[in-house]
Parts: sequence; C-alpha cells; structure tokens
Amino acid sequence: MFKKRIAWLLLIAFLIITLTVSGCGGNNQSAGGGKQEQQNEATGTEEDVIKIGVFEPMTGANAAGGAMEVEGIQLANELYPEVLGKKIKLVIADNKSDKVEAANAVTRLIEKEKVVAIIGSWGSSFSMAAGPIAKDNQIPVVAASATNPLVTLGNDFYFRVCFIDPFQGRVMANYVYNELGARKAAIIKEVSNDYAVGLAKFFTDTFTELTGDPNCIVANVDYQTGDQEFSAQIQTAAQAKPDVIFAPGNFTESALIIKQAREQGVNIPICGGDTWEAPEFLEIGGKAVEGAVFSTFFTSEVPITEESEKFLNEYRKKYNQEPSSVAALGYDAYLVIRAAIEKAGSADPVKVRDEIAKTKDFVGAAGIITLDENGDAVKSAVLKKVQDGKFVYQTTIEP
Amino acid sequence: MKKKTITSLLIILAVIICLIIAQRTLDSFSLRILNLSGVYIIFAVSMNLINGFTGQLTLGHAGFIAVGAYTYSLLIMDSDLKQMNFFLKPLISPLDTLQLGFFPAMIIAGLLAALTGFLVGAPALRLRGDYLAIATLGFGEIIRIIFTNTQSITNGSLGLKGIPKPDNFFFIKMDNSLMWWIWVAAIITVVFHLLLIDSSYGRAFKAIREDEKAAQAMGVSLFKHKVMAMVISSFFAGIGGALLASLIGTIDPLMFRFTLTYNILLIVVIGGMGSTSGATISAIVVTVLMEALRFLDQGFLGLPELPGLRMVVFAILLLIVVLFYPKGIMGNEELTWSKLRRLFGKPFAAKEVNR
Repeated sequence: MFKKRIAWLLLIAFLIITLTVSGCGGNNQSAGGGKQEQQNEATGTEEDVIKIGVFEPMTGANAAGGAMEVEGIQLANELYPEVLGKKIKLVIADNKSDKVEAANAVTRLIEKEKVVAIIGSWGSSFSMAAGPIAKDNQIPVVAASATNPLVTLGNDFYFRVCFIDPFQGRVMANYVYNELGARKAAIIKEVSNDYAVGLAKFFTDTFTELTGDPNCIVANVDYQTGDQEFSAQIQTAAQAKPDVIFAPGNFTESALIIKQAREQGVNIPICGGDTWEAPEFLEIGGKAVEGAVFSTFFTSEVPITEESEKFLNEYRKKYNQEPSSVAALGYDAYLVIRAAIEKAGSADPVKVRDEIAKTKDFVGAAGIITLDENGDAVKSAVLKKVQDGKFVYQTTIEP
Repeated sequence: MKKKTITSLLIILAVIICLIIAQRTLDSFSLRILNLSGVYIIFAVSMNLINGFTGQLTLGHAGFIAVGAYTYSLLIMDSDLKQMNFFLKPLISPLDTLQLGFFPAMIIAGLLAALTGFLVGAPALRLRGDYLAIATLGFGEIIRIIFTNTQSITNGSLGLKGIPKPDNFFFIKMDNSLMWWIWVAAIITVVFHLLLIDSSYGRAFKAIREDEKAAQAMGVSLFKHKVMAMVISSFFAGIGGALLASLIGTIDPLMFRFTLTYNILLIVVIGGMGSTSGATISAIVVTVLMEALRFLDQGFLGLPELPGLRMVVFAILLLIVVLFYPKGIMGNEELTWSKLRRLFGKPFAAKEVNR
C-alpha cells in the first residue's frame, strides 16, 4: 500500500511539474525555454528574436530522412543566423513520423512558439496534415522535400523548394525514350508509397505521349512497402518483354528488386527516382545495381550554384560526410524564408508569405528556385548512375 | 438506482460546463489536444469492450477506424474537392458527386465500420487467444492494403486532403462545432458502454471473459455475444475514425497501420482492461502527456535539444504504471464516488493509524 502511494505521489508530482514547465499559460512560457529564454531576457525582449519553426520526423519510421533535413536547416541557421538585425531562432518539433503528431506539432509551433514561418516536413503526408492548420492561422510553410502535388494544391500558405513528382516522372520518361531508346516500358511500383504511385503515373503519361503508343507500358505491377520477395512481379514484367523497367519506390525494396531481377537473368536497364540515393541502396544491391539510373534533386560532385559550393564546403566541415539531397533542400528552404523576411522588411507572417510566393531565380544550394503559381519550385533535376559502387553524376536536366 | 442516475447526469453536466469554459479560454493548440483526447476516448472505450470486457484479444481496430475515416471523408467532401484529390485516377461514380451532411456521414461511417466488424468478426471470433489476435491483426492490415490498392475509391497511397470540418452542431452554427461533435460522441460512447456493461448483455460478455465453457453451460451464446461485442466496438471505432479524419483534415492508408491499434491497446492496458472509466482517464492522460512532454525534446533546464527524449520519459512513466499497477490504473473496476473518497481519504486515515 505504501509503495502504491509513493507511486501515485511520484506520478502526480511529475504531472504537475510537466504541466507547469511546459507552460499551459500560452504566451508566458518563462520556464519553458530554459536557458534560451533566460538569454533572451538578458539581452532584451522576445522582439529581438525571429522564430522559424521546423517540424520533422525526428523519431519513428522516417527519422533518418528527418534528421538529414534538419542537418541542412541547422547549417543554414549557423551560416545565416540573422535577418533584419534580429537573430533567427529555430524551434524544432518532432512529428514522430505520424500524421496526428504532425498536426499537433504544427499547432504547437504556431500557438505556443509564435513562429513566423515553418519548414517541413520530410514525408508528404505529414505536410498535408499541417497544411490546413497553417492556412487557417496564416503562417507560411516551406516544405523541403515533400513531392506529392497535393501538398501545395489549393493552399496559398504552402510552398516547396523541390520539384514535384510530375516533373520527375517526365524527366525519367524523356531519359528512357531519348537516351536509352526505349519504346516499351514495364513499371514495378511501391503501391503503398504516394511518391512512387505519382511518379509511375506521370512517367506513363509522358512516355505514352513520346511514343504515341497507348500500349507502350507493357506491364504494370505493384508491391507493398516491406516486401522481400519480388519474383512474381519481375516475372510478369519480364515476360512482357519491355526495353526498360521503371521501378519507383523505397531504396531497400528497389535494391532487392534489381538484385532479384539480375539473378533471374533480366538484364534490361532499370530506372527509378530520387529515393534510391541512399547508402543502403548500394549496400543491399551490391554489384547488381551497377548501371541503375535515377533522377534526383542535387549532386555534391558538380556544384550547381555558388551557394552549393558554400553549402558543400560547410557541410563537409561540420558533419564530416557528403550531404544528401534533402539536407541541401532543407538548407534552401531556410534561405528562401530568410530572404522573404528580409524583403518583406518585417516578420509579419502574411507579408512573408507574399514574398515567398514571389520567389524568382533564387540561388539556392540545390539549384535555382522559381516558385510557380501553386507554390511549387520549378528547377532542374539531376540524373545519377551507379558506377563502381558509387552514385555518379550524369547530367542536369533543365525544366 | 435513482441516485446513481442523478449523479451520472450531474457528471455529464459538469463535463459540458468544463467544455464550455475550455472553449472560451483555451488556445487552439490546447483545444486540439482536448479534441484528440475525445477521439482517443472513443477509440479506447470501444476497443475495451471487445478486449477488456469480452476478453477477446483482437487487434484489428485500426482497420475499422480506417473504414470509418474513409467512408466519412468520401461522403462529406464536395465534388470540386474530390476532383482536386483524385488527380491521378478519377473517383468512381456515384461517389464523385455524392455529398452528405456531417451527421449522416458520420453515422454511415459507423455503420460501415460495424458491417466490416461483422464480416471480420464472424469468421475470426471462432478462434481464441493468440490465434484470434493474429487473425484480427491480419484483417486490420488487409483492410489497409485494400485501401492502398483501390485507387479509384480511396485515392490509394496519395491519401485525401482538405476534409472539411463541420460548421454546425445539429444545425446550430458554432465556432468550435467539431469539439462539440467529438465530445458529445465521446460522452455518448462512455455512457452507452457503461449502460451496456450493466445490462444482461454486459454480464454475458463478462461471463465469456471469465470462463467460456461455464458461460456456454449457463446458456450464453458465445458466437452471438462475441460478434455483438465486435460489431458494437467497430461501430464506435468507425465513428471515432470519422471524427479523427475531420480533426486532422487529411488521411492516408499509412495512418492506419497496426501501430495505431497498439497505441489504443496501450491506452486500454494503462487504463485497465475491462474498465470504461479507466480507458477514459488513460486516454486523456496519455494524449495530454505525449504533448506536455514535448518540452523535453526542445532542450530544457540548459540541456541541449534532444528529439525523442519525451518518448524515453514516456516509456519510463509507462514502466512505473506497469510496475505498480500491473492491472492498469483502474484494474477491471469502475470509478465510483466511494472509490474516489477512499483514494483521497485513505492516506490521511492511514497516517492517523500509524501515529
């Protein structure tokens, strides 16, 4: 009985501490920010800080992607820490790779942290959960790597610095048609992934247009995230005798598909999208993935702009590794927001939104960004090929 | 009996008054957490009916929630919105032009989920124990995978966005009508389950939980009661799913993975298997705690930012609960006035004895 009472007391005490520390009081979060807040009080008022919120999957299934993006954002914050003479403070909220949490995190950033703008999130579905909240509260959001067209569609407050699936699908269709001379293609797609489904669809559209043959897609087969065994799909695709296989999907499954296809003696080229650019793709695929071609946002071999060079150097210095595309995109998202605040001359979210919408020929680390009327970036794509166990830059394709 | 009814009504009244105060004073972040708590109450209480009271470990709740969420979303979106969402493959008719009000959409969502519950439960509930858990888990995943692949109905993995929120509460225009829908649904769910458990059906459910053979010998139809519990449970899960879709405004199949089921099961276990009030309390505690612990992630008391710390602390809290309350907060009993009095009265009484 005694033990139980102690447990109760502990729990209740913890709850009380939690509730007071987390600051139920709204604006007055004196204890909440801890050190940071005290510093602010020492140097002046809250007015001297412009807060930019970041919501990313820091835990859960997509934590790796979220972490890479945050790295880029933090680097940008270090290199460009001020705007309008005020410090920019990043407030990072974890969305636990979960839609419900994503909505909570964004509401929190807006309500409790009073951020001017938000960056996020890795994973289009989390961005979609945040969309209506940002719109209702009139806070601009810039997504770094959310490629699902639905994210920005019909939402004036959502932007992104990456190209969208339709463009990538078009790029790959053009590549297999022009460069590989393919006239018949098979598609093996990860049906539970919105990105793969979108890519496959736009690849099909463009490829049909190019070949003028409504039956140019000779096979269209699906698999689920987490599948291990793909012989059935490969068989179906191979029996239709395509010139090329387009296989958009997650890197693990895609690497396995290519491996199993090669084992079954299927030797036609296999192409994919930006998700393939992960070390795991090479590790799992090994020799089998040699020659695989995919489109992506960014390359660290050939700096696209001056900003890329700065980004590459600083990134290598800080993290001691080669940056991924999403890190560069996170970096760009931050820069776009910062430039917009500067141009707006104030930290008023609506004015900042208007300036973000006007972004044109903005020089970012991952290419030159111009936002179209939907808030999607129109920018060049990069083709990469696996050679000698490395991703090798092939060519840049302008929009 | 009459006294009990009056106190129950008083509690409901108190909750409603609290809600009115909350709506006036809280900011939209706190309101969102409040609403989420309401939705989780519906999930947890409904899952508790089949898992806690009837003693059938089923893990297909996420599937029923998905059915409810999708049905509701497809019924409440207008045709323009549907056209925007279904840009890859058009929605099949007549769904593409069909649009209903909030209440009918929600009820149909519940009914379809109940039907799914029947279709899943009828074959699966012949199994027992682990086998039942695995079978229902499988069915839950099957529902999700069907939704992923039927692109012309559910938009597949792209999900749906822009699901509108209700702008009225039973034809009364209000600012936060969604909050009222959620909480009225939550109150109805709790009251319904309390009454159901007290009825002869409820006793049959509990009898099945305690000993299936004995229950059968007493004339309780196992199949009928198990399926009934499942259908009622999935009906409320569907309602909850509809409200969740409306609250978040966007859904996709990945939301309804088995982790959602585990989250709800976690709430049920913490609250106490077989206690409606336990499930209610723990739904609120878990939802609020997950958000309240967020300050841990953002670096507090001079510590650096450490995303994920709140999960660690949350896990420790769970450990404490499991260590000291292996049966959950409430065990399989309900919160009653006399219990509350004992809980707060006893420490002082005990102290006096020690002296």
